Amino acid sequence: MNLNYSDEQNMLREQVLKFCETNYDFIDREKILESDSGFSKDNWQQFAELGWLAVPFKEENGGFNFGPVELTVLFEEFGKALVVEPYLSSVVMSGTIIENSNHKNKSSIIEKIISGEHQISVAYAEPNIGYKFFDCYASTSVNNNILSLNGTKSLVLNAGNASQFIVLAKHDGLSALIMIDAEVDGLSIQSFKTIDGQTCGELTFENVSIDTDSIIASGVDAEALFNKMMDLSILCISAEAVGAMNASYMKTVQYTKEREQFSQPISNFQVLQHRMVDMFIETELTKSLLIKATLQLDSNDPNAENTISALKVQVGKAGRLIGQNAVQLHGGMGVSNEMSIGHYLKRFTAIDSMFGNTQYHINKYQTNQ
Amino acid sequence: MVGPVIYTFGTQEQKDRFLPDILNFDTWWCQGYSEPGSGSDLASLKTKAVLDGDQYIVNGSKTWTTLAQNADWIFCLVRTETTQKKQEGISFLLIDMNTPGIEVKPIITIDGDHEVNSVFFTDVKVPADQLIGEEGKGWTYAKFLLAHERFGIAGVPVVKVQIDRLKNLTAEYNDADLNRKIAELEIDLEALEFTELRTLAAIAEGGHPGAESSILKIRGTEIQQRLTELYVEAAGQYILPYEGPDGFESNRTPSGPEYASPSVAQYLNYRKTSIYGGSNEIQKNIIAKAILGV
Ligand SMILES: Cc1cc2nc3c(=O)[nH]c(=O)nc-3n(C[C@H](O)[C@H](O)[C@H](O)COP(=O)(O)OP(=O)(O)OC[C@H]3O[C@@H](n4cnc5c(N)ncnc54)[C@H](O)[C@@H]3O)c2cc1C
Repeated sequence: MNLNYSDEQNMLREQVLKFCETNYDFIDREKILESDSGFSKDNWQQFAELGWLAVPFKEENGGFNFGPVELTVLFEEFGKALVVEPYLSSVVMSGTIIENSNHKNKSSIIEKIISGEHQISVAYAEPNIGYKFFDCYASTSVNNNILSLNGTKSLVLNAGNASQFIVLAKHDGLSALIMIDAEVDGLSIQSFKTIDGQTCGELTFENVSIDTDSIIASGVDAEALFNKMMDLSILCISAEAVGAMNASYMKTVQYTKEREQFSQPISNFQVLQHRMVDMFIETELTKSLLIKATLQLDSNDPNAENTISALKVQVGKAGRLIGQNAVQLHGGMGVSNEMSIGHYLKRFTAIDSMFGNTQYHINKYQTNQ
Repeated sequence: MVGPVIYTFGTQEQKDRFLPDILNFDTWWCQGYSEPGSGSDLASLKTKAVLDGDQYIVNGSKTWTTLAQNADWIFCLVRTETTQKKQEGISFLLIDMNTPGIEVKPIITIDGDHEVNSVFFTDVKVPADQLIGEEGKGWTYAKFLLAHERFGIAGVPVVKVQIDRLKNLTAEYNDADLNRKIAELEIDLEALEFTELRTLAAIAEGGHPGAESSILKIRGTEIQQRLTELYVEAAGQYILPYEGPDGFESNRTPSGPEYASPSVAQYLNYRKTSIYGGSNEIQKNIIAKAILGV
């Protein structure tokens, strides 16, 4: 089993690491969080120039034809610096769906994603359906020969900045993925900050007229495509979590070596040493499942779906343990918003809640066995 | 918190002066124990009080002071003497927050709220009759207060109410996993509650809450934190939108259940409970030393 990264992959990691070191310290990040858009347009442009926005796309669409391995490399580094730019929603989620859909203009849409010109978000959650995304109420109907969409979509990542949405809705009683312009009549958007400093929005569709071309996948194809997108997204935020875990335990080790109480560094206390060892062990175990899931997704292994659930559970549990202990070992400083350590806990909490939380994936894993 | 110290160690004059207002909720007190360099090792505190005629001159800083921004008074541990044994030079002073030379600066916590503060003292003049008990005996009073504080932190009644609330909020989910976790929590709470009653019974017979209150503090805060986790779990993905402790503007409601957003704030906020009042690690050190004798 060769688990070494290629030179190209190592270079990508170095590049992201360097970018985050120079552009993404705590203060830089705070400024981004406070901005209206909730992300940095300059950073996004740099992502485009560095080619990062092209990572997962096929060569024929102007991409690098990289796969899950490269995405996890990127996300691990993002996780260390708690990067908030909407890479997940715009590149991974929307990109996966568009590239694998039957959209007639997909090359030109992907071109605009790669150039950083457009951000697109997937609208899948709703107020009352929990994680059962296919049981949605948003649906199309025909009135006076006009096809229109009605319903509400929730928690749409980066909604305020998206120029287009891919909406999961019912069409003829079946799941469909429908591409809709953000500016279209009948669509209203409320934007919110999220607990971890990102943004999301609530979309309300009132008789939004659509043409059949905008239905880019339907029926079992739409659901398969959506599931593919979910698996890859879970993989990416899990990689992000691994990066955040790494940073959390390393920052905690550093802090306990520097903080003195009882006339000695608190890292001398064995109970804290063991706690940090636990954090380290959980990070390594999570990394293992991440690599396993990455390789399975990369090779279209039929077990990938189950491994993804296992990974999501491990990420949820380990993220909680590591995030909480990192805060605990920082004492009061841990709950101060001025320290990065609490922001990792927030990101772990958000990551656990997305695409099915720990309990959801325990149950899914059990059912699939 | 300060009430028991005043009625146990205060002069008659101090009791008459402070207790009625405390009972009527007319004055609010904050706790000036922790300092930037002295958290778990509280006895290493450095805020200095020097007796000058009939008043103390106080210099130094306190931190993590809960609700200092609203407090009328602060009870402070100060160093009145530099002694060989660090516990010995500590005194317990009551200070009016309106005294010139006191500056309060907010510390924002990870839930975005302003609950704690830094408090700075520059040549603050405190009448000597606001000293509790004897000079240099402050550590004894401080520990006495901490035992009472830990007792309070256990929070059994509040947890009961919050468990019931969670059950009501989630009844319609029929979520077997969630219900099982709630039941487990209730069982732990029963054990804690009866432990508290045993301690109370001992106090009724003339005892004082001692190292046993550390049991209540540890398990009480663990239960509280687990409860906040269950709220978050129940709310699922709807915890994501959060616009700060003041909630959402009135004309905007995020999706999902209404309890979702406050739940995640509470979860983050309650990380404090295993840190304050003496961290849970310190409580275990106390039990190891005072009860197990190791
Ligand atoms: C929200 C909040 C409100 C507070 N309100 C008040 C208040 O009103 N008034 C007040 O005076 N204080 C208050 N505090 C302060 C609180 O009491 C301290 O934070 C606490 O005593 C821990 O001190 P520290 O933060 O300096 O952490 P540190 O002492 O630096 O501890 C860091 C970590 O090391 C561990 N540790 C330290 N020593 C040991 C040891 N010997 N063995 C094993 N582990 C050890 C701790 O358990 C902790 O995990 C508050 C704190 C918070 C978070």
